[in-house]
Amino acid sequence: MIVHLNDKQENLKRHDPITHPWSEKIMTILGTALGMVFYLLQVVSGESGYAQNGDFEDAELDDYSFSCYSQLEVDGPQHLLSCAFEDPDVNSTNLEFEICEGLLEVKCLNFSKLQETYFIKTKKFLLIGDSTICVKLGGKHITCQKMNIVKRVKPEAPFDVKVIYREEANEFVVTFNTSHLQKKYVKDLLHEVVYRLEKNENDWMHVNISSTKLTLLQRKLQPNAMYEIKVRSIPNTNYFEGFWSEWSPSSHFRTPENNSGKMDPVLLIISIVSFFSVALMVILACVLWKKRIKPIVWPSLPDHKKTLEQLCKKPKKNLNVSFNPESFLDCQIHKVDGIQARDEAEAFLQDTFPPQLDDSEKQRLGGGVQGLNWPSQHAVITPKTFGGESPLRCLSGSVTVCDVPVIPSSRPPDCREGGKNGPHVYQGLLLGAGTTNSTLPPLFPFQSGILTLNPAVQGQPLFTSLGSSQEEAYVTMSSFYQNQ
Amino acid sequence: MFHVSFRYIFGIPPLILVLLPVASSDCDIEGKDGKEYQNVLMISIDELDSMIEIDSNCLNNESNFFKKHSCDDNKEPLFLNRAARKMRQFLKMNISEDFNLHLARVSQGTLKLSNCTTKGKGRKPPSLGEAQPTKNLEENKSLKEQKKQNDLCFLKILLQKIKTCWNKILRDAKEH
Repeated sequence: MIVHLNDKQENLKRHDPITHPWSEKIMTILGTALGMVFYLLQVVSGESGYAQNGDFEDAELDDYSFSCYSQLEVDGPQHLLSCAFEDPDVNSTNLEFEICEGLLEVKCLNFSKLQETYFIKTKKFLLIGDSTICVKLGGKHITCQKMNIVKRVKPEAPFDVKVIYREEANEFVVTFNTSHLQKKYVKDLLHEVVYRLEKNENDWMHVNISSTKLTLLQRKLQPNAMYEIKVRSIPNTNYFEGFWSEWSPSSHFRTPENNSGKMDPVLLIISIVSFFSVALMVILACVLWKKRIKPIVWPSLPDHKKTLEQLCKKPKKNLNVSFNPESFLDCQIHKVDGIQARDEAEAFLQDTFPPQLDDSEKQRLGGGVQGLNWPSQHAVITPKTFGGESPLRCLSGSVTVCDVPVIPSSRPPDCREGGKNGPHVYQGLLLGAGTTNSTLPPLFPFQSGILTLNPAVQGQPLFTSLGSSQEEAYVTMSSFYQNQ
Repeated sequence: MFHVSFRYIFGIPPLILVLLPVASSDCDIEGKDGKEYQNVLMISIDELDSMIEIDSNCLNNESNFFKKHSCDDNKEPLFLNRAARKMRQFLKMNISEDFNLHLARVSQGTLKLSNCTTKGKGRKPPSLGEAQPTKNLEENKSLKEQKKQNDLCFLKILLQKIKTCWNKILRDAKEH
């Protein structure tokens, strides 16, 4: 093969006219002449310019750079592509725009012109890959730019901005609408919400959100002030990119007055009522502490000494009870056979008084009951009751004795404080003169106790113990405590 | 004579060896991240699927096309390229303007992304079917209708296979 090529080269050399000497000279002369002609033409044209068309007078100095943006699905399924010159002074009278590549079913499309803006509305964008947009003048391309339509998307402006005040949560809820929610391609947008006090011109607060709802806290806004708010959007996907949309129409709202010092009236009433209730409870607790609350919470143990003191209260002033014989001067004192009287009394007590000794009333029959014949006569002894409280129950027998329930608190017999062996004075034990067989003066009940007689006093009525033993006394004491 | 035989023995076989790779196809696919497919192609495929009102369990399940081409491993770009070329035939059906636009978008978009270096010189795209001589208008009409249904059925299945093949590509791209 190499051999064949060498042969061919030799043949070419023999018949190549270019290598001929005289032809070289001719070619050189021609080339020089042509070059000079072209140079002169260029110089001449550069000074005077084209005579036919003045538009190209400053063609080299015009800046035909332009920028475009797209809006997808702006009118149903149709997309919009808009281009404009960056230099507003460009005379665009005969200029045209054309887009090629990146189209469906066609190779190129021409733009329409609206004032200084060129646009095209079509469904035929492929939306994949680059397109070429050229500026044409008289069918010739002046300048071209390669751009991807999906990277120059300008969303439509949001609209219907509303601000609602929620009093219960002390916040403002901002909502707005955008047509991109129903679109198929550019669905995900980033929204910028800005708001300001109307009196502060350039002090805007910015918030970026991806949804169409925003919450503003009342405490972060000035009270009783007027605010202005507006929204714009930008594509927020990993495929579609572009520019910020136009601002939405502004919306205005007023913040309420500061009511942090005012309380809810219902809450105020409840707080006042609860305060007074607590105060009342405290006062009642203090007042009733000693009498009602403390005995229940901290019951006191019975104190026998105090109980006895209560039993043996000093007599009333109007009562004159004493064992002083001088006080009995107006009383007829009859001597009674002590032993017989005691026996009779014991028998009487055994027959008449019931086994419950704590409720039984012990009568002390004083000596000197005139005209009283115990075994044979019936007498009604009606003991005097204090205040007529206790009912009387008369028992039949040789001696009729009426039971009177013991009311220790109201009828404590008078006892003198003193030694145990001292005389005990019993209240109301008066035996009036002239007692008949039928009735006896009322006898005052007395607390059973150890009755001690003063042996030195003669003629004194014999006080017999009613057979109450120490057990009866203690039982009565405890019952006294219980009644207390 | 001897140098002539040398020319044919040592000249032509190397030439064949050099030219052989040119005849074979070498396909690669762009957009393996799925941006173009998920934001543009999938929307058009779904639109076409909704426009084709026919049951997918129709005839042409065992079409020759699917017997020849399948989305096998390492052959996904080739299958998509073939499928996109096949789709161009359906533009003649002229069902509606939107139908044609979505069809063109899927076909053209897939061809743009699947970079195949196969040299097909002016190969005429195979037609959907040859017109058969008919005896009367009624038979002709019913045949046309039947053919249309078959074509739509094939197209519906083809769209499903394109979707499946794209999902396979994206899945493989995520794994790697």
